[in-house]
Amino acid sequence: MFKKKSTPALNTAASYLSAVSEADARARAHGSTPSSTPALSLSSSVTSSSEDTVLHEHDEDNAHGLTYPKNPPTSEQIFTTVHTEFGHCANEQYRFTSQHSTDHPIASVLEQDPPYYILLTTYISYILVIAFGHLRDFLGKRFKRAAYRHLLDDNGYAALNSDFDSFYTRRLKLRIDDCFSAPVYGVPGRTIQLLDRYSPDYNKTMVLTGNRTRALNISSYNYLGFAQSTGACTDADVEGIKRYGVSSCGSRLEGGTLDLHVQAEALVARFMGMEDALISSMGFATNSTIIPALVGKGCLVISDELNHASIRVGVRMSGANVRMFKHNNMDSLEKLLREVISQGQPKTHRPWKKILIIVEGLYSMEGTIVKLPAILELKKKYKFYLFVDEAHSVGAMGPHGRGICDYYGINPRDVDVLMGTFTKSFGAAGGYIAGSKALIDRLRIAGYSGAYAEAVAPPVVTQILASMASIMGINSTVEKQVAAPSRSLLRSYDNAPAPIVEFEAYPGRAPATALPPWMPLPQSMCDCSDSQMRLRRLAFNARYLNRALRKLGFITYGHDDSPVVPLLLFNPGKMAVFSRLMRTRATPIVIVVVAYPATPLVTSRVRFCLSASHTKDDIDTVLEACDEIGDLLDLKQAVGERWPLKEIVARAVELVNMPEVA
Amino acid sequence: MSATSTSLEPLFSFLSDSYSTLETTFYKIPGSAVIARYVKSSHRNDPGRTVLEIILIIFAIRTLLQSRTRADNSGKHFIAFDEREIDELVDEWVPEPLAVPLSQREQTELDNMPIISGPTGPKPKLTNGKTVVNMASYNFTGLAGNEAIKESSIEALQKYGLGSCGPPGFYGTQDVHMKLEEDIADFLGTEAAIIYSQGFSTISSVIPAFCKRGDIIVADRGVNFAIQKGLQMSRSTIRWYDHNDMKSLELVLETIEKDRRKKKGPLTRRFIVSEGIFDHDGSMSDLPKLVELKHKYKYRLILDESVSFGSVGRTGRGLTELYNVPASQVDMLVGSLANGLTACGGFCAGTDVVVKHQRINGTSFVFSAAMPPLLSVAASDGISILRSTPSILSNLQDNVHAVRAILDKVDCMTVPSHPASPMIHVHVRLPSPTHLLPVASPNPSPHKHSNPTSPIPKDPEQFDEELEERILQEIVDEALAQGVMITRAKRLKGLELTKVRPAIRLAISAALSKKDCEKAANVVKAAFIKVVSKRR
Ligand SMILES: Cc1ncc(COP(=O)(O)O)c(C=O)c1O
Repeated sequence: MFKKKSTPALNTAASYLSAVSEADARARAHGSTPSSTPALSLSSSVTSSSEDTVLHEHDEDNAHGLTYPKNPPTSEQIFTTVHTEFGHCANEQYRFTSQHSTDHPIASVLEQDPPYYILLTTYISYILVIAFGHLRDFLGKRFKRAAYRHLLDDNGYAALNSDFDSFYTRRLKLRIDDCFSAPVYGVPGRTIQLLDRYSPDYNKTMVLTGNRTRALNISSYNYLGFAQSTGACTDADVEGIKRYGVSSCGSRLEGGTLDLHVQAEALVARFMGMEDALISSMGFATNSTIIPALVGKGCLVISDELNHASIRVGVRMSGANVRMFKHNNMDSLEKLLREVISQGQPKTHRPWKKILIIVEGLYSMEGTIVKLPAILELKKKYKFYLFVDEAHSVGAMGPHGRGICDYYGINPRDVDVLMGTFTKSFGAAGGYIAGSKALIDRLRIAGYSGAYAEAVAPPVVTQILASMASIMGINSTVEKQVAAPSRSLLRSYDNAPAPIVEFEAYPGRAPATALPPWMPLPQSMCDCSDSQMRLRRLAFNARYLNRALRKLGFITYGHDDSPVVPLLLFNPGKMAVFSRLMRTRATPIVIVVVAYPATPLVTSRVRFCLSASHTKDDIDTVLEACDEIGDLLDLKQAVGERWPLKEIVARAVELVNMPEVA
Repeated sequence: MSATSTSLEPLFSFLSDSYSTLETTFYKIPGSAVIARYVKSSHRNDPGRTVLEIILIIFAIRTLLQSRTRADNSGKHFIAFDEREIDELVDEWVPEPLAVPLSQREQTELDNMPIISGPTGPKPKLTNGKTVVNMASYNFTGLAGNEAIKESSIEALQKYGLGSCGPPGFYGTQDVHMKLEEDIADFLGTEAAIIYSQGFSTISSVIPAFCKRGDIIVADRGVNFAIQKGLQMSRSTIRWYDHNDMKSLELVLETIEKDRRKKKGPLTRRFIVSEGIFDHDGSMSDLPKLVELKHKYKYRLILDESVSFGSVGRTGRGLTELYNVPASQVDMLVGSLANGLTACGGFCAGTDVVVKHQRINGTSFVFSAAMPPLLSVAASDGISILRSTPSILSNLQDNVHAVRAILDKVDCMTVPSHPASPMIHVHVRLPSPTHLLPVASPNPSPHKHSNPTSPIPKDPEQFDEELEERILQEIVDEALAQGVMITRAKRLKGLELTKVRPAIRLAISAALSKKDCEKAANVVKAAFIKVVSKRR
């Protein structure tokens, strides 16, 4: 039952751990002599000439193997991106299309359980740390009062933070705090620079050494790789700042509306295939301040049990009743629907005013894709309204990047409300709501954002416009429309039907007039070749990592096409070790580890967020690391056929193109 | 010692009994002998391990059971229907429309909302081609469009890209975010600060991070909507005091204190929540008195300086600077980076403990992407400009005085705002308020004071909301026609806890010249007079 790893593995474990501590010591030693790259050096001379596409900061060596591509480009390959931000990958085979296949419908995702000894050791770990934590609290409060001051009643003030409420944070999370909130520097693209830090007091405080480590970044929400400091979008942003400054000063309804906002809203509506759309300055707030304008007392919200915190906050603010159904489980949903509609409101049994189902397109902790077709079937019968939060799926899913409807080939107008954020795929900030014109106009004045929250900042809007238009492509063939003042773009403000010129049906291209005239996009972005490259690379990467990890024997959750890949660790102690081992490799890799309370207690996990900016070599690097660490930490527990790493790497294209894997 | 052992005796006998029953049942299970042998041998080698294994088994059983015991427990109001009846009920049910279409007036107002073409600023151009004087947008310090800020923002853009692509906990914290937090803390003189990515979502997240069920919050009746939402989310016990009335506050505090002494309950967390300059009317809190009372009754003070930060005080530090109260006296000092510094987001400054707590418990901090790095650079720059250029705030004050000098003398308006507030609310005062007269509480309310459990004051101000809104909107339109952009204070009617008097909200900017301000104020004055006299 307790037989763990054989001795050789333990040897490796020991050597790894010593390597970690050595690396740590090295980091500290460096700290005392500030190197030539102080954390705040200004290197503003960034160009996109071929030299600089690999060398971003001249004083950086390539010891980590991240600065240059493994295979130098041939003479006819011209890359305009900086390799550390957006990897160079010219092999057209490493591409795939993110599209739902009707021949191979989404199998109900197999969530494999780990062997029981893993579950048991997981519980033991928790018991141990909890027991020790309580013991230390017990003793500490008696013998080290000063350190516990903020947890105790003091001088007539109740503790701000009761020791019970904060127990988890102080006694469990603190132990592995070096894996969270790591400060970074620079573009969160394919790689990112960590600000090296160490803790002299067991993670209570962190001290920056002043050095930086470049690491392969498999953790940022940068699905389409728009986190870039060069390129057409950045050029547009620069021009935008020059023209507009950084603020529009005030809320949308109180004098903070710019022409840019109106243009962006029109473009979002077109992108989503909806009548109209509104944008708001924070993704979280898009949910938390708009949902209350959709439902209220006497209404019912049916929410997936794993919905994001912002949705929960919004629902609670609205005062509507809320019921949950099992994650992505259509039987549970239908059963619940039948119950709530037949029972009506609690106690009074009056019929509900309306029922709103809120689901996410792609669940960011699970990698699961919502079963939209099934929900739409139910919608016909049960007449509820449907709200889909596409924070993670917009841009990242579908052959045209339009999100979950595009992925399934569903008419977006079958969904009542499409919500999403710009923080992820678009490399911007804020969120949007798309729907019918009547709905959006109501939300403009009844949502909290319109009246009270600051409008989206102009540079953020330019990034939204440029990235979104480049995903859509620009229809530049027709130039017949007079360059009328931007009034012609203010669709939602025109009472007369907007003159339909050069309109392409969803999911078509955007008309050239959708962008401000000062925002020219290069040819590759107008003809969709840039966006197709991004979308298809992301789809390849997602499928490759998902399938390869499973072939290596790891337990992962979610769908093969999901760019979010959770790898299950179970034991909480393994989180820290996994994260540290990844970070201290020769090619450092940063990943996200999550545990309770973000996940159920037992299913601590690593989460990989893939990006179009990753190359196949990068994924291979990750796989190699996972393979080693997986052996070390005894993580390969899945049943099913396994391939050795070499074979996976060699047969990657085949693996990705298989309709299904055993 | 012996007492404990005797009291434990029945327990031991129970344990040994149950052990023997367990043992017999156990040996009936096939294969159990193997396990028994294993346990015995392991016990011989390492007794401590047995204990561990027992705990293990208990947990294993718990896990196994847990997944099965989740049955739906419908309450006592449950009515059983058969499938056919449910189908009928489903067929019969007709939901209300998801959104009520806008009324004609709402639609017109939305359609006629001015849209700025190009950059905003003191004199922006609208999409209709007209250039107007801007007294609507929050640009108190006049930093909008500042060239130095633009330059450093571009530099930041070329270093960090635009978005942060992740929440602060997951590699979203850039060095410039930390720098901004340090800058704010240093500017205000607190130990630390934390930044949120939207102003509105800051206070509504800060309050529930600290205030939980059972805690007591004493709040001003005039607090803004974001605070109201924060109070709602906190589920704490809320007591209200009359708007900006320190006597009323003291009375409420005294009542709570008496209550507590009587009940002798455990010590709970207690908070006073107020605003620096109130978003609802521009009035200003008496900070020294608030601080005095907070100390006297041992409350923590949550002060929302969303309007006052970057708009009052010698260098724009807000109320603490204006009243010369150390910011450390305010436990949670919340402010907006969008209003005062024309960047985006909000912050909460306080002690290290206060800030650290929010990094894990501030919902909209934890679950949202960090703000775009270039905007935190812009905010940092804004702070250093304010520090080094006190003339900004003195110009702003001059402008405020100039405007107030004109508006305070007009018959048909009242200005509830504090004379130093650059956000000026203007109510309309109708000449013959017939509809206002005796409606005001025909029978004087039985209580001497307002009821602290209700946000509604004892004698709420009486006004015809609908009518005043219409008049004010006419005034706004008239001013715009004369080249001055102003706005009604937009509020969500029916959602605010109290009925707020409709107002026109002027925002004075340091970037306007005094002459422009006077001219604009005269336009507003003329618009008031014109519209109100038309009704006569
Ligand atoms: C489903 C979902 N909705 C909303 C948000 C909030 O978005 P933002 O980070 O832009 O505030 C997130 C972000 O994590 C999310 O996952």
